[in-house]
Amino acid sequence: MEQFSEQLINALVLGGIYALIAVGYTMVYGIIELINFAHGEIFMFGAYFAFTLVTDFNLPFWVAVPISMLLCAGIGMLMDLIAYRPLRNAARLSALITAIGVSIGLQNLARIIWGARQRPFPSESLPAFLRQGIPPSEPLPAFALTETAIALPGGAFLPYRDLCIILLALVLMIALNRLVSLTKIGKAMRACAQNRVAANLMGINTNQVIVTTFAIGSALGAVAGVMVGVKEIIEPTMGYYKGVAAFAAAVLGGIGNITGAMVGGLLIGFAEVFGAGYIPYGYGSGYRVAIAYIVMIIVIIIRPSGLFGKSTATRA
Amino acid sequence: MNLETIRDQLTTKNIIFGLLICFFPLLMYAVDYITLLLSYRNIYLPTPSGDYILRIVVQVALYTLLAVGLNIVCGFTGLLDLGYVGFYLVGGYTAGLLMVRLGFSYWMVLPLAVLNGALWGLMRGAPTLRLTGDYFAIVTFGFAELLFRMVKNEIWLIGDINGFVKNIPHVSLFGIKLNQNWHHYYHILILLALVIFVTYRLQHSRIGRAWVAIREDEQAASSMGINVSRYKSLAFAVSAAIGALGGAFLAPFWSIISAGTFQFWESILILCMVILGGKGSIKGAVIGAVILGSLSEILREVLSNFPQFSGARYLLFGIILVLLMRYRPDGLIFKKT
Amino acid sequence: MKNWLIGLLVVGLVSVFGCQPTSKDQQTTQGEIRIAVAGPFTGNAAAFGEMIKRGAELRAKHVNDAGGINGMKLTLIPGDDTGTEKEAISVATRFATDRRILAVVGHFNSACSLAGKGIYKANGIVALSPGSTNVSVCEGSDWTFRNLYRDDFQGEFIANYIKDYMKAFQTVAILFDNDDYGRGLRDGFSAAAEKIGLEIVASEAYDRDNTDFKAQLTSIKAKNPDLIFISGLYGQAGLIAKQAREAGITAQFFGADGVDSPDFLIIAGAAAEGTYLTTPFTFELGGEKAQQVALSFQEEYGVPPDTWAALTYDAVGMIVEAVEKTHNKDASLAENRKAIRDHLASLDTPEEGYKGITGLTYFDKNGDTVNKPAYVKIVKDGEFTTAPDQVLD
Repeated sequence: MEQFSEQLINALVLGGIYALIAVGYTMVYGIIELINFAHGEIFMFGAYFAFTLVTDFNLPFWVAVPISMLLCAGIGMLMDLIAYRPLRNAARLSALITAIGVSIGLQNLARIIWGARQRPFPSESLPAFLRQGIPPSEPLPAFALTETAIALPGGAFLPYRDLCIILLALVLMIALNRLVSLTKIGKAMRACAQNRVAANLMGINTNQVIVTTFAIGSALGAVAGVMVGVKEIIEPTMGYYKGVAAFAAAVLGGIGNITGAMVGGLLIGFAEVFGAGYIPYGYGSGYRVAIAYIVMIIVIIIRPSGLFGKSTATRA
Repeated sequence: MNLETIRDQLTTKNIIFGLLICFFPLLMYAVDYITLLLSYRNIYLPTPSGDYILRIVVQVALYTLLAVGLNIVCGFTGLLDLGYVGFYLVGGYTAGLLMVRLGFSYWMVLPLAVLNGALWGLMRGAPTLRLTGDYFAIVTFGFAELLFRMVKNEIWLIGDINGFVKNIPHVSLFGIKLNQNWHHYYHILILLALVIFVTYRLQHSRIGRAWVAIREDEQAASSMGINVSRYKSLAFAVSAAIGALGGAFLAPFWSIISAGTFQFWESILILCMVILGGKGSIKGAVIGAVILGSLSEILREVLSNFPQFSGARYLLFGIILVLLMRYRPDGLIFKKT
Repeated sequence: MKNWLIGLLVVGLVSVFGCQPTSKDQQTTQGEIRIAVAGPFTGNAAAFGEMIKRGAELRAKHVNDAGGINGMKLTLIPGDDTGTEKEAISVATRFATDRRILAVVGHFNSACSLAGKGIYKANGIVALSPGSTNVSVCEGSDWTFRNLYRDDFQGEFIANYIKDYMKAFQTVAILFDNDDYGRGLRDGFSAAAEKIGLEIVASEAYDRDNTDFKAQLTSIKAKNPDLIFISGLYGQAGLIAKQAREAGITAQFFGADGVDSPDFLIIAGAAAEGTYLTTPFTFELGGEKAQQVALSFQEEYGVPPDTWAALTYDAVGMIVEAVEKTHNKDASLAENRKAIRDHLASLDTPEEGYKGITGLTYFDKNGDTVNKPAYVKIVKDGEFTTAPDQVLD
């Protein structure tokens, strides 16, 4: 039981991370039906920007994060301007290949700039509650609060950092849903998603709407990157591996749907954690990374529109 | 092809080109002989040895074969296959395991690997027939990744860790061990010629026209009486069989295969070759493979002095993809046929 | 078109008839000895490759400062195998067919060594690996050597060490990297543990592209092991240590030489404290010569050397010694390459062995190094220190 509840928390945190990244995929897809492969790389750049600002420029964490978000939003906008906009009326395949090219290019650019070494976020630069806790020498009572974490009944800890990830995912989902349904730009986004040409004719500057979408998605990706960098580690391939799983989550939830991305992220997180934790003989752990792929393939083949997606048989 | 068209092809340029291809190893060994003679006089040319160049050429030819195979799905039927390396893997492991663990001869293994590849192509194809565009690409990607994880994890099947199949015996023909680089050269040349011939004939037949019709408009093709799923399945099978053929050649050529050989990057590299030359053209696939295959080699030589630019090779590939899609979506060299 | 054909013909004829050999083949170019160094200088294992390159360059500098090899300058030719078989095969062919190269130091990754093995054998050139630990790297080829132990030895060593010196730890859980290194080590460890009666309560895999190990750790925690053996590389090991403490695991950690990197300490932070690990070499116990090398390495590159730099330093040294003793200006390239191999193969007893900074190296008939000790280190106050109990003979 103890093990189960701990795995549950593991799954929630992992799912939260996937959901944070999946939102970026889903927003862009919802509006221009492009799988923005490079979103995972934006996420990685977000982590690296914050890392560099904190270490090389000695900026405080709370200043570094917004700057990193701005920089990533900039990259997202540039990406749209340079790579995707010229192809808006070209074949869908061309846009997808471009996205893959951008993704490969950015990943290796990061490798050139920062090297392939794995880097942890320097602990001393973080606000106290996000730091890595030093395990106390004697066991704590259940639900006691330490400086960095909540003690759980079985001796495990739930770091505030992980709690932040779950909360952040929730808050973002609600905020984005409200943005799309209540604000003017949200209305424009929905119009673009339904019919870009018609929206244009109605006087909506579709290019501007699309660029805004890229900027919002990328800034959120940067936040996710920083959180993962703080929780785990920063490396050039982090965007690729986490990105694929998050993409699977977006597809599972019904790509284009923000609530779907959240639910999909959680489901992939659960599948991965419970698969690795409970499938015996090393099979679960050996195939852990593959679980997201398996879920994704099954969902695409059986129900390409995902859990919350609008039902369309095929996408051309 | 009648006699006159053959006669038309016999221009001086083509003859020299043909002779160069046929006697390339001889030329390379002549280079080596000259370097040997020069070395008696303590003269050393800064050029790499002919044997090494020959080896690289074999490697490039192998990529060419794969690019031609991938071109069938990507170019002719217009579906983006991100998991082509999966069939390469299937061929490699079919050949490697049968030869090492069951002692089969290469000539028996070759058709088996090709058949197995075609089978996997159909298996992957069946559930994805309805899918197009992005979703098809993603499923193929996931499929190749799954195969990659499988050879890493299923130790009982592979017989060693990390997908290692070691000590794969050399190909032997009439009792002669084909272990020299010029053996490999003619070996892959024959396979490549065969593959190009088959693909060429397919392209210019009913089947090839059906594929292009599907690429241009699936619904229109279907309403013209083309059985879309059948022709698509055929394309998957042929393409996969060629990939597996490449893998089957690879196993004895390297004498070792491991899971690491069949990663996503390899798929991207082959895809880049197809796109660089121009999707849908066999010539384009060949030229793309030759350019990128040799570029890879040159870049390694140059980049090994600059470890900080470790990512530059793939950065370049990324830029190539983006620029080509922007300015020459039909390839650098040829127009779509 | 015709012009260049004729030109080629003329060049060929001139070189064939104009350059009749005066003496036998000499591959020493203007008093220069060329040795190739192959390793992953770019790619995912570039951090290792860099140390290998530096270790080799430092040795070459020392050799040349001391007057070279029999008066000839030692030149190193680097070859980047990027840690993949495909590139390793190209590099191997490049070196094996180069008429100026006498021997190869490399490769680092086991897969690369295995891929290059056949080519080195066919062309008759020595490949001395300073880093490949897979069991079968040297099998079936007279031309492949390595100057460090194999995975199975290390696994067995760790199991025995726990049994003999860490008696408080009765039950072990293994978390292994799902590739040749991690699995090979685990197999060696498990086999030995079974033999000596060390109980293994869990054995879970992870993939190197993963960064979240909580699921595996939580299921290991339920088995309540006294010790967790991390069979993998420093990056993941650091994260595992960190996440294990968060998951409430209080067990002791034990790692192998893959964990032996300062980055492990940086990544794991406070969680690294008390971790045991084995290594093929430690500068602290390496004697005066090793200290000097460590000092000049630090001077040259500004960072302390690691195990791989030391092993490469020795590997280049072994080849240099072989060239010094056997090189014959009047012999052909093939003969000189063969002489290096024969010299290495003759180092088959402790008396004949090569005494380098990493200790005594001598080979069995496969070309594997035998009886080279493993050292045990422990993380104390955020630094690697030598463990109080060492198994040395």
